[in-house]
Amino acid sequence: MYEMLLYLDGGNMINFKINGKDVVAQKGETILQVARKEGIYIPTMCYLEKTTPIGSCRLCVVEVEGYDAPILSCQSKPTDGIEVQTDSDELFKHRKNIMELYNVNHPLECGVCDKSGACDLQNKTLEFGLSCQSFTAKEQNRPKKDWGRIQYDESLCILCEKCVSTCNEAVGDDAIELHFGGYSSSIVPKGSETLDCTYCGECISVCPVGALISKDFKYTANAWELQKIPASCSHCSAGCEISYEVKHTSTEDQTQKIYRVTNDYEENTVCGAGRFGFDFGNSETKGDFSEAVEKLRNAKSIVFNSNITNEEAKILSEVSKKTGAKLVNREALNFQNFLKAFAVNAGESLYNGTLEDVADSNQVVVIGTKISTDNPAVRYALTQAFKRNRAFISYLHPVYDSLLQNTIRQFINYEVGTEEGVVALLVDTILENSELDLDIGYLSGETNVGEEELEQIAKISKRATKKTLVVGADLIAHPKAENIAKFLGLVQRTALWKVLIVPPETNSLGVAEICELSDEAVSPSVGYNMKADFVISALGGDFSVPALNQQEGTFVNLNREVVKTHVAVPFEGRNLNELANKVLGSDVENTIDYTKELFGTHFDDLEIFHLETEITSPKAEVSEVEDLPTFDGTLIYLSNPHLQFSPFTEKAISSEAPLLGSEQFAVAGKLSDGDEVEFEILGEKFRRKFQIDRNLRGVIALNPIFDMGLSAYSLSSNYRFQKAKIEKVK
Amino acid sequence: MKELEIRGSQNYVPVEIEDYPTSGWDKFTQVVKRTLKGELFVGLWVVFREMVKFDIHTLQYPEEVLPVSPRYRAVHKLLLLLESGSERCIGCGLCEKICIADCIRMDTKVDENSRKEVTEYSINLGRCIFCGYCAEVCPELAIVHGPRYENVSEQRAHFALKDDMLTPIDMLKAQKEYPGFGALSPNADELVKKTPLAY
Repeated sequence: MYEMLLYLDGGNMINFKINGKDVVAQKGETILQVARKEGIYIPTMCYLEKTTPIGSCRLCVVEVEGYDAPILSCQSKPTDGIEVQTDSDELFKHRKNIMELYNVNHPLECGVCDKSGACDLQNKTLEFGLSCQSFTAKEQNRPKKDWGRIQYDESLCILCEKCVSTCNEAVGDDAIELHFGGYSSSIVPKGSETLDCTYCGECISVCPVGALISKDFKYTANAWELQKIPASCSHCSAGCEISYEVKHTSTEDQTQKIYRVTNDYEENTVCGAGRFGFDFGNSETKGDFSEAVEKLRNAKSIVFNSNITNEEAKILSEVSKKTGAKLVNREALNFQNFLKAFAVNAGESLYNGTLEDVADSNQVVVIGTKISTDNPAVRYALTQAFKRNRAFISYLHPVYDSLLQNTIRQFINYEVGTEEGVVALLVDTILENSELDLDIGYLSGETNVGEEELEQIAKISKRATKKTLVVGADLIAHPKAENIAKFLGLVQRTALWKVLIVPPETNSLGVAEICELSDEAVSPSVGYNMKADFVISALGGDFSVPALNQQEGTFVNLNREVVKTHVAVPFEGRNLNELANKVLGSDVENTIDYTKELFGTHFDDLEIFHLETEITSPKAEVSEVEDLPTFDGTLIYLSNPHLQFSPFTEKAISSEAPLLGSEQFAVAGKLSDGDEVEFEILGEKFRRKFQIDRNLRGVIALNPIFDMGLSAYSLSSNYRFQKAKIEKVK
Repeated sequence: MKELEIRGSQNYVPVEIEDYPTSGWDKFTQVVKRTLKGELFVGLWVVFREMVKFDIHTLQYPEEVLPVSPRYRAVHKLLLLLESGSERCIGCGLCEKICIADCIRMDTKVDENSRKEVTEYSINLGRCIFCGYCAEVCPELAIVHGPRYENVSEQRAHFALKDDMLTPIDMLKAQKEYPGFGALSPNADELVKKTPLAY
């Protein structure tokens, strides 16, 4: 019915013919998109769905009746009544010619090339039956370039520019560009000698040949030997769909090992932690099983974090029901309370925004998160919103983020601690007739958010058709989180804005939905990947359990989807389910048997689905914004650098963990680059090298916590701005 | 005695086969005849005669082995480049892929010259069916079947490792180009399509 209505609408539909077949295009669709939708094949080498058409390969040429020259189907939109031919002798000859040109001086090293067997150039060369070369060009010296984790081999590059447009339009790093020079054109780092980017590796993923490859993977395995294990990335709440590619370790050692991680680059964009941080499996089998069972049975509290599957969370809550132990997970509890408060005014139990909503929006407001490192998937969605829809993106945070400088239009710097006031002002701005009783002068003064800036948001909001509000971890762990959540609930209720509350950890949403949580741990306590009296962990501890790439189970990602992950590498020891069986006196064979209890479907038959939200009658209760706190002195923001999220990513990727400050911060604290400093935050002692980051502004230093072992999780459950006294180590 | 049909140009000699005895008496006489004829001594005499004459026709294995045809497919060898002595194997993995018995395994890595290095290469001779596909698919003529056909082992899984198969560097001069399975055809040069090299 809906389709029919669209059809009758007429104005947006274009009727034309491809190869004699009647097809319909929606307004804005290109001929190639319609052809693909209809299952008509048009070869391409440079086309990427997620970016604007590049038009460098010219393989997608089609003939249109009445036109003399063939046109590029990837860029051309059809008009009513045209007749398109996708294949003819002339076109075939033309395409074959292009393929022949691609092969001029392409090194014949398929035998060793990493891409061999999964190479677009190989496939298309065979498809067009090229058996000899009639063109020639003088061979040039094209040395391989070393770009950190990435290697660029110019001689293999076919200059399709997929990498450039992905980096620019999907990722937003804008780190590489095409260096024009005719036959000696190449891809070069933009504005510097070597590559300086977030190392997401998406360029490796989209490269149709072996020109851009991962240096760690190079020459270790062939594409056809690797078995793809479908999984969801376990590092952040985006839960990106990835494949762990596994093979035996060596001739001698038959155990499976992950060689690389790949993604379906047309569907999603994966960050560097997901792509390179795969080697976090637990190979230890420490601890005595019966001791661990005893400890779990006698524990008064079970401390855990949200880097856990739904099934494990379910097991823990079953154990807690049986033994009466309290489940302690402060970060998930914060999130649970936040959602509860949010639901009061939203009239729905969950937020309604998704990553797709962000990417489709033409206005986005991001508040309370350093999104480029907290959740790169949201950042990529922001980039796409900006590139596709020229979205007006406002970024509200006390710390300036240079990674977003090309994406955001408006950076609003608010005072640390005043989030409640900022949210109140923001909500008042974006809701017309909000009827909120706010002392705007006071709030504006204390938060340092100018009224003109808010007016601009309001002005854009009137015009924008698709609007999304992205809410981050700073607000969830805020002392005034409850009132903040209530304010935000009002936004969702209007239905004009979508709200996306980014869960702070991988499965915070799942844990918040499944478990009854409490705050304080009592002795004797058992920690599941957390510090406690007895530690059950995949990272050392007293008893070893498998890591998340050694388990099957489900996560709930930030899109509120239940996604699955599978076993990529084996684990020799026992898991949580076996411990729980002893405690519960039950005989559940596999952890995934709990999937049926949770979602009513057996794990193997489970397909990705959205969590349902409960509709309630919305209220409009918000407390008055009381005096906003002021934070004086040295401020430190707990924030991990790119490629790092947790002790698990640290295990897989080694990187430095310096205290980063702006030049201004260095002057104020009388520090210079490279100084050893000591400070204490939330009872944890840090000893770090101080580094000046010229991209930073203001007087807030960034302190990573990913290298703090299991303490990292307890640190991240707090408000992320903390006062600290920094002392230089002599 | 039945007449045997003799076909073709082969010089077949029909063996004399007497008719089977039918009655009890015939059977009895056959047994007595066979027992008392002394044919055993005929055979013993022949052996003794030839022993004294030292006219020996059997192969003195293991001192002597039969020469095998170059197309015989026995235990594999890995060859070196004749000019430089470096390994021919580039680690492309095609032999591993094509092997229908799934008995080839290799480990590769990047070496210090940024080239692909084959660190280990093994063939499970217990599984190998000596089909010759690996030698045929090898683009570098690196893996070939050698003439060694002895496969005695104490275990079912009997491996040939890289060191066992690779031509020792001091034996490079003695390394022969392999004419058998997977070798270049005699007219290989004529089959090459030329690529224009204008410079």
